[in-house]
Amino acid sequence: MDFTPQAALSRRQLLMTATVAYLGTTSMVQAAAFREVTWEALVPSDWDPMKSFTDMQALGELPDSDPRVQALYDRMRKVWDEAPTVPTMQGQDVKIPGFIVPLEGNEKALREFLLVPYFGACIHSPPPPANQIIHVRATPPARGFKTMSAVWVSGTLDLERNQSEMGVTGYSLKAIRVEKYREK
Amino acid sequence: MSKLFLIQLAWRSAWNRRFTLALTICSIALSTFMLLGVERVRTDLRSSFSSAVSGTDLVVGARTGSVPLLLYSVFHVGAATNNIRWASVEAIKHLRGVAWVVPLSLGDSHRGFAVLGTTQDYFEHFRYGEQQPLQLREGQRFSKLYDAVIGAEVADRLGYQLGERITLAHGTGEVSLGADHSDKPFTVVGMLARTGTPVDRTVHISLEAMEAIHVDWMAGAPFPGMQINAEETQKMNLQPKSVTAAMVGLHSRAAVFSVQRQINNFTEEPLMSILPGVALDELWDVVGVGEKALLLMSSLVALVSMAGLMSVVLAGLNERRRELAILRAVGASLQHVLLLLALEGALLTLTGVILGITTLAGCVLVLGPWLQSSLGLTLVLVEPTAMQGILLATLLVTGWLASLLPGWRAYRLSLADGLSPRI
Amino acid sequence: MTSRLLELQDLLFAWPGTRQNYLAISEFHLNRGETLFLHGPSGCGKSTLLSLLAGVLLPHTGDVSLLGIPWKALPATERDRYRVDHLGYIFQQFNLLTYLTALDNVLLPCHFSTRRREAAKHHAGSARKAAEYWLQGMGLDESIWQRPAHKLSVGQQQRVAAARALIGQPDLVIADEPTSALDEDSRAVFLDLLLSSCAAADTALVFVSHDHRIASRFSRQISLPSINQALHNEVPG
Repeated sequence: MDFTPQAALSRRQLLMTATVAYLGTTSMVQAAAFREVTWEALVPSDWDPMKSFTDMQALGELPDSDPRVQALYDRMRKVWDEAPTVPTMQGQDVKIPGFIVPLEGNEKALREFLLVPYFGACIHSPPPPANQIIHVRATPPARGFKTMSAVWVSGTLDLERNQSEMGVTGYSLKAIRVEKYREK
Repeated sequence: MSKLFLIQLAWRSAWNRRFTLALTICSIALSTFMLLGVERVRTDLRSSFSSAVSGTDLVVGARTGSVPLLLYSVFHVGAATNNIRWASVEAIKHLRGVAWVVPLSLGDSHRGFAVLGTTQDYFEHFRYGEQQPLQLREGQRFSKLYDAVIGAEVADRLGYQLGERITLAHGTGEVSLGADHSDKPFTVVGMLARTGTPVDRTVHISLEAMEAIHVDWMAGAPFPGMQINAEETQKMNLQPKSVTAAMVGLHSRAAVFSVQRQINNFTEEPLMSILPGVALDELWDVVGVGEKALLLMSSLVALVSMAGLMSVVLAGLNERRRELAILRAVGASLQHVLLLLALEGALLTLTGVILGITTLAGCVLVLGPWLQSSLGLTLVLVEPTAMQGILLATLLVTGWLASLLPGWRAYRLSLADGLSPRI
Repeated sequence: MTSRLLELQDLLFAWPGTRQNYLAISEFHLNRGETLFLHGPSGCGKSTLLSLLAGVLLPHTGDVSLLGIPWKALPATERDRYRVDHLGYIFQQFNLLTYLTALDNVLLPCHFSTRRREAAKHHAGSARKAAEYWLQGMGLDESIWQRPAHKLSVGQQQRVAAARALIGQPDLVIADEPTSALDEDSRAVFLDLLLSSCAAADTALVFVSHDHRIASRFSRQISLPSINQALHNEVPG
């Protein structure tokens, strides 16, 4: 051996201290870097989707199958699909809670999913507007979650641009951490 | 030092009684096999299924249930009760946010393998696993009317080469009682590389070809008096009027809910669209009940094995009083005796568990290829899951606990006997 | 440092659950290196006395001390340790663990007693060599050493047991009718070997038997009924 026992001990101590310091700093940095946001923060304060639907009151009593109601829903759908994003959210490191809709992968390794603000967003309730859906890509992939799992997602937000006539189509997020949602 | 020696002693003592203990070890091995095996199949089943389709945002079909739609459109299991009209497929193509649509036409088979009628877009847009595209290992995609592209399993199991002439059968049975399309044979022009998904077990033809072979059929049987041969079909308009299902890809994945809503509310025809990932989770919810039952059964088997271990050791204690007296005479304390019995139980459990794991690994190795080719289930040999680790730990701890009772009894016997056991 | 190896004072022993004293002995002692022939009719309590001397059983009144330390003063685990440190024991039969070889059987005390292991090493260089020495000393040559115990004859087994009792220079060997299961010739050979080995190692010997013919070979003789003052002996059921 080329070092004395005492030297070995202090080397080990040094290594341990360094590791603890590193872990402590990273977790602190991680905790500090991801600020919690709510879904409201993703909606521009001046967006009022109901502005052009003044005739909604009049149709309130008609059944859903009525073609006028359908036409109204279609209009609403279009407005919601083109909901604007908040430009300043681009590049922000955020932590946001939501429900999972899986896209790629499975419970063991979920690589891509959509994050929505309320339960059942893909089943019966009207789907959320485009600025209330986040397309998440998780690296490392999330483990142990399935459809409608409630989670906290931490990562960097970005604005999705697609080659369609719609320009910016919504939010995406590069998640570094996906964890089970727990009441605080 | 004593501890290691005690382990050796426990082992040699147990080995001496191996014929009595063999059955108990086998039963522990069986319960290990079952517990770990159920967990293995559960995990790998999910992986295999979820890798079957990737990059597809929606699957559209007639209104049935989401799980049946997923099963017949992607896994070719079961059958659709209704088709969807071509006009609907066209309409979907023009919906806001839709990037591509691949129609699927199912219902025929070839020697037990499903036949899929689709467009060239299928080879462009279909993905599996982690966004992997389909690759041709030989040949090319279908271009002429009666061309067929077969999956790897079809090629390997039936030993087909390029240029092979094949006949398709109507319906999905393995045995065809004459209801086939033998008047319109197909030529294999392409073979796909293995994917580990249902694609391997599928024969792919064009939508037009699917129309052509049914052009003189009506309601599931050849129309009497109307026989249009293959030549004649080439000149006909083979635009399909309906298809079984369609895969849809979007420009933006986040738009899926909106498009899904538009399709589900389609006024011209009752349609439904599913997110494959969500539908799979629904499938697992249903299957999960059965899995829990299996797990419970296996746990009961494990408990019975442990009880067996305990009783076998307990029953043999009387004959071992001499052995214990000798050990006391050479300096073993009562605690040593207790420890010896506990170690013996732990060793026996460990042996049984290792035997079980080895048997499982052997089965996976031997049955793996067959399971893959016939059920599309890929079993993984290594990569133990977290649950398997927990089950293993529980087995070992339970085995050790089961040996504490005989250990205690041995303690009491040894205490009473001292150096002169009464046999 | 007393030359008294074993001392027994005012001993009263009754089996648990019985009220009648089984053994009542006022005084008994054994010195270093002494060989004692203990005899008496069947059922008179010889084995029980041996258990008391070895500290396996404890009297409800009185003390038994080995090398000045009363057995009662030690907690159970330490008693076991003390016993193997200073005492070797030979049963009438079935002395060996059948799943070990002769050599491994002889080595057993060295696994449980550091003192004896060290003494064995000191005596022959290593515990293994000491075991081989004692096996040789009991007339068992190399071909026997690695044989599993169940493949040995009764005579051979008893001799292996003696080697095991002697390894590591214990102060005392207790032998409970070790020759009763042997034939005449084997008995004589066994006794010769045992007595000479004990003499060579300065180990005391308590030898129980009802064969009076060999009594003269021992330095002392004691008849148990003569020193046992208990009113009557009942063989516990």
